[in-house]
Amino acid sequence: MRGPVKLEVWKMGFVNYLDALKLQEKLVSDRKLCRIPDTLLSLQHPPTYTLGKRRTDHNLLIPASELKSIGAELHYTQRGGDITFHGPHQAILYPIISLREIGLGARNYVEKLESTMIELSSLYGVKACAGQKGETGVWVGERKIGAIGVRISHGITSHGLAFNIDPDLKYFKHIVPCGITDKEVTSLRRETSTVLPTEEVIHEQLISCFARLFGYNTVVWKENPSLSSDHEEIE
Amino acid sequence: MALRMWASSTANALKISCASKPHLSFSRCFSTVLDGLKYAESHEWVKHEGSVATIGITDHAQDHLGEVVFVELPEPGGSVSKGKGFGAVESVKATSDVNSPISGEIVEVNSKLSEAPGMINSSPYEEGWMIKVKPSSSSELESLMSSKEYTEFCEEEDASH
Repeated sequence: MRGPVKLEVWKMGFVNYLDALKLQEKLVSDRKLCRIPDTLLSLQHPPTYTLGKRRTDHNLLIPASELKSIGAELHYTQRGGDITFHGPHQAILYPIISLREIGLGARNYVEKLESTMIELSSLYGVKACAGQKGETGVWVGERKIGAIGVRISHGITSHGLAFNIDPDLKYFKHIVPCGITDKEVTSLRRETSTVLPTEEVIHEQLISCFARLFGYNTVVWKENPSLSSDHEEIE
Repeated sequence: MALRMWASSTANALKISCASKPHLSFSRCFSTVLDGLKYAESHEWVKHEGSVATIGITDHAQDHLGEVVFVELPEPGGSVSKGKGFGAVESVKATSDVNSPISGEIVEVNSKLSEAPGMINSSPYEEGWMIKVKPSSSSELESLMSSKEYTEFCEEEDASH
């Protein structure tokens, strides 16, 4: 059994996708050098489509030039997974953690991310489960409620999970979500008859589920997290 | 074991969500380690034959990754540096960098992996090889772990969690 393990949580509100990406790159480098503890970014993005390393842009169903007219951006990334959409009312967690220290491989890590969203769903009486083989993510029946796309570099994670609280699902019509053609996308709002609390509460519950499933016994909240990390070096 | 499989299939039939899939957590003890190869702590192997070193990832690594669906490899003629990434594999929606245990010039890459990435899972030491390199430093090869040392390394890594 490992000793006390600390997780530092940054609650960031709305963050532009590229800004979040740059911050993650910096934090991954800091974590690799053990300058920071395991860190979790909790945030939302403005309407953004993203592609993974395989660049499956055939799964974007409208011309990239039209994206601006629907108020969305498109970004290519190094994460695993296919095309997806991020937007308001979707809770995103980007864990920047050392898998080697925690003793997890990619498969177990992703399973725990799935479990995080499954547990959160169950708080609202929604029976979600992990996908079948090859369909990583979290499903309520045939409808996808949570997506995962991860990058692991020298054992440090970046990117993470996106859980649909109540995003505008029409944005998903412009893509083949996660490259899976015949399945719908859903949200917590659609799947539960429970009255939802404020989103801030749901974000905190998601963070708690994550912390518990990953065995963190100390969770600290970073004061005033900003996009420029405290660990900037003078160049 | 049989009881666990029955419970799992019953749960599936009743569409009860399984928060954690029952995995063979003891399977890691049975990962294959081949004699005659050298190993890095980041779970890559090197087979040195004459002037060429072949590099891939170990059985332990492929087991922890899950089914590989995509492999990104460099071009021949490029170079690799010890400890630095030269490519990546994707499994379960996770891309994992693969690091080179040694430095040198890439002389060949396994192009079959673009059509059949699963060979990394089914044959990590043979058909799943990733790149062939002309090593630039013999001392780097010598500093890697032997099969015995790597086996102990894996056991310690797995036992400490």
